Amino acid sequence: MTLNAPISYQQALDNYLKKSDFPAPQAIPDEELLLKQFHPDHREGTITTLQVGPNKGDACHKQLADILQADSRIDAADLAGARIEETDILVIGGGGAGCAAALMAAESGARVILATKLRLGDSNTVMAEGGIQASVEKSDSPQAHYNDTLKAGHNKGKKELIKKLVMDGPETIRWLIQQGMQFDLNEFGDLLTRKAGGTTANRVVYFRDYTGLEMMRILRESVKNSSIDVRDYCPSVELLSNESGHCAGAIISSLNDCRYVQIKARSVIVATGGIGRMHLNQFPTSNHFGATGDGLVLAYRLGAKLRDLDSFQYHPTGVAFPQHLSGTLITEGVRSAGAYMINALGERFVDELKPRDIVAAAIIKECNEGRGVTLDDNSQGGQGVWLDTPGLEARNPGLLKQRFPKLIKLGLKSKIDITKVPMLIYPTLHYQNGGVIIDENGLSSIPGLYCVGEISGGIHGRNRLMGNALLEIISFGRRAGLQAVKARQLRGHKQISIDHISNLRRELMQNGMSMEKKSPLLFPDYAKYDTEEKLDIKSRFSKCEVCNL
Amino acid sequence: MNYEKKNQTENEVTLTINAEQITAPKTLSVIQALWHAGYPRVKGVGCLDGVCGSCSVMVRRADSTELTMELGCQLLVEEGMDVFFSVFDTPSQHSYDLSEINTSWDVQTEFHRIFPEAEKCRHCGGCDKVCPKGISIESGVDLAVKGRFRESGELFVECVMCNLCMTGCPEFIDPNHVGLFSRRVTGYFHTRPSNLINQLEAIRTGELDVDTSDDEQVTVMNGEKS
Amino acid sequence: MNSQLINSKVMNNVLLHPKSQAKELTDWLHGNGGAGLEKALSATHDIIPVIQEAGLRGLGGSGFPSYKKWQFVAEQSGNPDKYLICNGNEDEPGTFKDVFLLSNSPNQVIEGALITALATNINNIVFYINPEQKTSLESIRSAVEQWQASEFFTRVEDKLAQPLNIRVMASSGHYIGGEETAAIESVEGNFPFPRGKPPYPAVSGVHGCPTLINNVETLANVPHILKNGAKWYQDLGCGESYGTKIYCLSGDVLNPGLYELPMGTPLSELIYTYGNGMLLEKKLKAVFTGGVSSTILTPQDIDVPLDFDSVQQRGSSLGTGAMIVVSEGTGIVKRVTEYVNFYAHSSCGQCPPCKTGTFYISQLLNKIDTGQAKGADLDSLINLCKILPGSGRCHLLDGAIKIVDSSLHHFEHEYKSSLSI
Repeated sequence: MTLNAPISYQQALDNYLKKSDFPAPQAIPDEELLLKQFHPDHREGTITTLQVGPNKGDACHKQLADILQADSRIDAADLAGARIEETDILVIGGGGAGCAAALMAAESGARVILATKLRLGDSNTVMAEGGIQASVEKSDSPQAHYNDTLKAGHNKGKKELIKKLVMDGPETIRWLIQQGMQFDLNEFGDLLTRKAGGTTANRVVYFRDYTGLEMMRILRESVKNSSIDVRDYCPSVELLSNESGHCAGAIISSLNDCRYVQIKARSVIVATGGIGRMHLNQFPTSNHFGATGDGLVLAYRLGAKLRDLDSFQYHPTGVAFPQHLSGTLITEGVRSAGAYMINALGERFVDELKPRDIVAAAIIKECNEGRGVTLDDNSQGGQGVWLDTPGLEARNPGLLKQRFPKLIKLGLKSKIDITKVPMLIYPTLHYQNGGVIIDENGLSSIPGLYCVGEISGGIHGRNRLMGNALLEIISFGRRAGLQAVKARQLRGHKQISIDHISNLRRELMQNGMSMEKKSPLLFPDYAKYDTEEKLDIKSRFSKCEVCNL
Repeated sequence: MNYEKKNQTENEVTLTINAEQITAPKTLSVIQALWHAGYPRVKGVGCLDGVCGSCSVMVRRADSTELTMELGCQLLVEEGMDVFFSVFDTPSQHSYDLSEINTSWDVQTEFHRIFPEAEKCRHCGGCDKVCPKGISIESGVDLAVKGRFRESGELFVECVMCNLCMTGCPEFIDPNHVGLFSRRVTGYFHTRPSNLINQLEAIRTGELDVDTSDDEQVTVMNGEKS
Repeated sequence: MNSQLINSKVMNNVLLHPKSQAKELTDWLHGNGGAGLEKALSATHDIIPVIQEAGLRGLGGSGFPSYKKWQFVAEQSGNPDKYLICNGNEDEPGTFKDVFLLSNSPNQVIEGALITALATNINNIVFYINPEQKTSLESIRSAVEQWQASEFFTRVEDKLAQPLNIRVMASSGHYIGGEETAAIESVEGNFPFPRGKPPYPAVSGVHGCPTLINNVETLANVPHILKNGAKWYQDLGCGESYGTKIYCLSGDVLNPGLYELPMGTPLSELIYTYGNGMLLEKKLKAVFTGGVSSTILTPQDIDVPLDFDSVQQRGSSLGTGAMIVVSEGTGIVKRVTEYVNFYAHSSCGQCPPCKTGTFYISQLLNKIDTGQAKGADLDSLINLCKILPGSGRCHLLDGAIKIVDSSLHHFEHEYKSSLSI
């Protein structure tokens, strides 16, 4: 490894603009070695072993272990005076998975409450750009989809789950169309498809680079026009359990009035998404504000078994400059369409359509070895490589404008004309590959507790393909919604409590662990949710010093 | 993401957010600036990518009488800027179920039943002015009123449902929901991709299935098929 | 508004004097009518100087010296057409004087308009009336027909040396249609969206022609001033003020109604002498003046002479002369909420800060009033009052802010105590 002098933004831009031709990069001799050396998952000292809970002894990222092995935010005493409500199905989380689950449950005639920490739709789903995988072309098949998914996940995915996922693909698209979703079509009305990094066929269907936005707004509209009782600004702080240890509801803490509400439910579907806002390894993230791994903590405390807690996806193309947009995602679709990635010397360095973990590791390698673009303005810091949108535009005039309106807008906000000047990119924390172990209907190891979407683990193994997340949330969201109604406890629960919290505390103390940290986090630390008055800017009219009421 | 670390005065600006004076690096968005200054903000923050519409703010720039509406996560701080976070519930007054529209022949009638206010548009242009995404909302509503739902919906491609046009409409039209209705009926009634339909049929008949037994064999099968 | 609400036993009644109350032209000419127009016809050049000397001011709320407006329009010679809009859009809460004048004494308004036309060489008069006020419309229509058939009308046309067109039109019924430039849009057949100024209506108004807009009450005074002279009009007022004012007294007083009193009558006199004091003898808490678009008067202002300048010195404005009296036991927050809801509903939409701003404020006030608000909501309300003013094309937004701001100033404790624990 040679360490050269850092190459400044201007110098690198000159290097780039001088070149008119970018020869194909050399193949990577040993991909596993590249991952080991440069992928953030393998960074030294970031992985620890869990000491309590169902995954005792398993490897886990340190920051995640901190919240899995933390104390609860509540005591039984906090529930004195807390209102109790009853419903058939409680869905926790207001993204795509939560909406799909809630819609199916409501359609089956169940009473459904959907409680979400932010507002319905303020989620990662809404930001998904590239598309959703489903084998719809004649040249493609569910089998090929299965093979690609399994392979990209380093053969670690659970085969039965992947099979369900890929077989659901076309039906999922049909269902979305029936909710009123639009997709990009060709002149004959067929779905347009494109490749993703790591796919062997054109399989990603999409709506421009707004696939998630289009999906989320129609799902939100469907939910709001249904019988589902939506509770915005209502994060769940703990699950409830019944006399047999089954999941029996949840305790929500309203941000509107700072009160706890206990919701008793026959089945609970947790769809709280991922952990991006924990900024693992100090990485910026493409995730929404509420992605703090709350559901993982709740499920783990109730005894649900998790997997792959040391495996995360760093999306290769996050914005590295300007800083106020840092971490913002640039869709993989741009690389699918043929955009190169160029280092500071003006050279391609990796096949841009390799799976995400390989490409991300390759970018980090370039930067670590002095071939990255170094931002010289010290207010920024940071490094990155170019995303060659000008080259893409030169090869396909007009394509950017037609297919990637959101990216063009992103350029405008960055004061960069992306048809002329490349954007600087660096991997951004994007996805939690692992999560709660589930069966083919999203049921966890705890009866009554379903986990769907990013919170679940096993489908993507240790690396996810573009477009498989959107497919997963709808496919498994719908499965869980149906199954939760079918298998709900008909006679209700004899007794509900938070006794499992005592077990957690017992275990933590017996292992001599600190009880100082509380979880779930609910919000990233910089939002100051816990440290200051709880809600928003301090009010001079506050009657209560603690919660600004 | 430690916002407190940075402290370069030459690269900072001072602005007012919800009546609090705040100094922050000029490279931050107004939400980041709030965090930087150590103020808690939990509500009105969402995707931080400009597509969820939860962070709408009112902005008055230094030396300007104009007040604009923008998205806080996308808005770069400026010297002397005055920002107000608007967090209000704005439920739509309109409700409908796509599956209750029997055929595409009925869409227009149903539209006017569901959105009776739409044809009352007084063309004030407020919705166009208020839209942080620059959508031609008024034209979109007009097209929907005329029954040209596909064209109407096309105008709303970038709509993030921030509801600013809803609060800005003096006739209570809920223009963003009109746009979304236009988009949804177009998808619901007119998207019939033959490639998808063929694949669904092949799966239904069992012609297409997945064999999870062995990776080698799987590759062969796939090769044969194509 | 029915006629029981007027109190004609008051001294110095002019517009509400029985001799001015005539629906039929012949009755009017037997009473106070005709003489003013005669004088105007005999010496058109003297009209504006007389109005100037009399000190007539815009009684629709502006208080702007009428002669100045007239003079601007009179001086415009480039365009053969000129318009006079008699503004009877009256739609503010608590204001009900124009409807009374139009319904019961349309002739003094029409004669005033004819004199104004003579003074400024206007050849188009538009009576612009709130469509909800059916009797006003009927009454003014019938009176206009009678005038058009009269010998006076021909003489006016002869003096103008051109035909005089008179149109009676129903306004759109939108509150905002009462704003000058919005009225012009409306007369042109459009939705009443206020326009930016300049150009000022006096230069370019209806169809680009010089346009004069006067309130019903202002025009109604004109024949009397011409008839009795400037000095007479001046003497009608109290202290430094000239003329009379029709006050619309409403709210928690024993005798609400219309009172034409000398301009500058103290508030205490209006409430306690003419209004016969507070309902149930409760204590006075506040008075919303001038059609609610201005700051609130409180008991410490009880001595204020009700004229344009004195009220302004108290940080409020006389406005239309509406005085909505609020007694102890009435929630200020509730009242303010009602008014702001009215504004939020009336905002025309073309300036998003106004439409959205009034919507936000009304949401917040409703929340506070119904006991569901927290401290942060009150903060938001205060912040909005700081950031919003000045960002609308017309004064609607600023008016709404003013009333909230002043109620916050005087009654912050009431807002605080409405907050939920």
